[in-house]
Amino acid sequence: MRKAFVIVTGMLLAVFALQFVFAAVGAFTRPGGDGSYTLHSITGMAVIPGLCLLTIVCAVLARAPGRVLAMTVLPLGLVVLQALIAMLARAFTDASGASTTAGLVVGGLHAVNAIIVVHVVVGVLRAAQELAAPAPTVQVAQR
Amino acid sequence: MTTGSVLAFDLLAAIVAAAGWLGAGATAVAGRRRAATAVGAAALAATLARAATTILLARAGWWFAAEKVVIAGPLLLAAVLVAGPRLLRPAPVPFLFAGYALTAGLLVTVLHGYPVSAGAGLLAVAGVAGATAVTWRFLGSGPVPRTAVVVAVAALVAGTGAAATAGAVPGVPHAHQHRDVLPVGEPTQRFTLTAGTAVVPAGDRDVAAWAFNGQVPGPQLTATAGDVLEVTLRNRDIGRGVTLHWHGYDVPNSQDGVPGVTQDVVLPGQEFVYRFRADRAGTYWYHTHAASDVGVRMGLYGVLVIHPKPVIGVDVTVPVHTLAGVPLPEPVVQPVAAGDPVRLRLINTDDTTHRYALAGAPFRVAAIDGSDLRGPAPLSETAVLIPAGGRYDLAFAAPGTPVALYVDGRMAWSSGPVSAATGGWPVLDPLTYGTAEPLPWSRYDREFTLVLDRGVDLRGLLPRYAHTVNGAADPDIPSQVVRPGEIVELRIVNRSLVVHPWHLHGHHVLVLSRDGRPATGSPLWLDSFDVRPGEVWEVAFRADNPGMWANHCHNLPHADAGMTLHLIYA
Repeated sequence: MRKAFVIVTGMLLAVFALQFVFAAVGAFTRPGGDGSYTLHSITGMAVIPGLCLLTIVCAVLARAPGRVLAMTVLPLGLVVLQALIAMLARAFTDASGASTTAGLVVGGLHAVNAIIVVHVVVGVLRAAQELAAPAPTVQVAQR
Repeated sequence: MTTGSVLAFDLLAAIVAAAGWLGAGATAVAGRRRAATAVGAAALAATLARAATTILLARAGWWFAAEKVVIAGPLLLAAVLVAGPRLLRPAPVPFLFAGYALTAGLLVTVLHGYPVSAGAGLLAVAGVAGATAVTWRFLGSGPVPRTAVVVAVAALVAGTGAAATAGAVPGVPHAHQHRDVLPVGEPTQRFTLTAGTAVVPAGDRDVAAWAFNGQVPGPQLTATAGDVLEVTLRNRDIGRGVTLHWHGYDVPNSQDGVPGVTQDVVLPGQEFVYRFRADRAGTYWYHTHAASDVGVRMGLYGVLVIHPKPVIGVDVTVPVHTLAGVPLPEPVVQPVAAGDPVRLRLINTDDTTHRYALAGAPFRVAAIDGSDLRGPAPLSETAVLIPAGGRYDLAFAAPGTPVALYVDGRMAWSSGPVSAATGGWPVLDPLTYGTAEPLPWSRYDREFTLVLDRGVDLRGLLPRYAHTVNGAADPDIPSQVVRPGEIVELRIVNRSLVVHPWHLHGHHVLVLSRDGRPATGSPLWLDSFDVRPGEVWEVAFRADNPGMWANHCHNLPHADAGMTLHLIYA
């Protein structure tokens, strides 16, 4: 199960990397429109939350310690936050639907939060790898 | 501060509060007591801010605050009572409990806010109790309290039950065809519109489009009041089918062009003949109502102008559309002789509001949505906002110097070289423009309230995050039933974060008030009006056009995502 924890966390990290690519695809699609970010939206609202849940299940089944488990739950919360930030950024538009300074500031947080999530997932992956490869201290304790 | 911005700040406060308590809990787990106190204090401030926005929203209208008071309120109170006293002696479990409570309140608002439902409330409580029990298991001292587990399980069972029964509300059957035989007389104007895929020029390139007669916009249909129009619609190769809806022109129900409601969709190779008498002069437009989101966006629309008997002066139509990201129409320069009366018919065929500004001459807004205004005063250096689907007619006498019309800052029409910065101009409020007239009715026979929001819709095959009316999404929104001759009052409340341009088919509605303040200007008979976030519009109409009518948001992706219901005559 600890192997599975490592593999699923690795997949999650890979999908996050892809998600950055999809954001770039949206930004560079010409002509731009609501449709340009379809890949980004589907990945962000369906694939990533699903993988986050799977990671949490793997962490529980792998009997990860509380601290690692808490770190594994964190990405799910940050992903929900990510969707809310996108929604809020769209809410701060002027009467004809154009973006405003407040909206762009909030929208910028979408990128900041993305960097934080990746950072956390990298941490989870390290913890999962440590869990899978028995540390020397554990062997000492077992003797 | 508008109610719309309070709604946005409420969401912001809820997010910061939830993230703050969870962060304070995590910091406490890490053993950083000082940092935990600091983060917890920030979370407490955000929590109190949410309490304040809830009070403001409750004062603006119960629709905006219901679930925040009834469900999120007690959770918020519990969070403050449990976590507040531990601020100086940080402990993980109370902080995380507060985080779960605030998160649950936030999710109720975002996923199923209105109307308040027992199911959503119980599931929120189950989530908080369950998460707290799990947290206790890993971080708390001693065994998990039985009460938390019992509450979690009981609330989960009861909440699931309540949510499932709420889903079983039967809707009014939608398959319905209203047959009316129309003695409209012999056609005096005949048109044929053939819908098909085409490649059309847009800006400096060619784009794939769906077009009537190979052009975007489709051919302009012009008639004189009193004409009988016969329009033959043919579908060459639009696989999803087409129809014609006469946007703003209140035709008899059988001619309204709503597939599955007033007619069958016209598939490739088929045709349908529309016939109606054009009595009411004004600016209208037509568009497909089959797969309308993609169909209109791809170009299946055109202008319908009905002139009063004598056509006088210069008459210009400006149907604004965004085709494959390119703003249409192309800028036109049209010299006008000084003193000529000019009428600019501005049409917004897009899904979102556009801002129009006329520079170089004082003008009057002669008509909105095809209805003349009463006593419109001259305006200058004033912009107008036209909702999706809406039309404004601007009238002016051409001065000796050039004039120009700007749409969102882009020149769309001019009579010569003009340079003007229109971005800072104030915007006309049509509710206070022109001279008032007593209301034609003193009583209302029926009253409906539509609360617009977003929410999770689980009734379909796949779950979706729908645009909802009274907590439901098409086809599960109960139809509104009226009797012929009744005066119907419609109250439209927008508790979402986006604008909803409302469009009732077959009727023009008279604007009574916005946000509780009565309209003081000319009577406004509209068919398309923007209900902005936090706004409450009260409008009324006489039920004088029997049939089954679509009543929907004209931001067509929203209509597609559930924001469509029907008005039917008993």
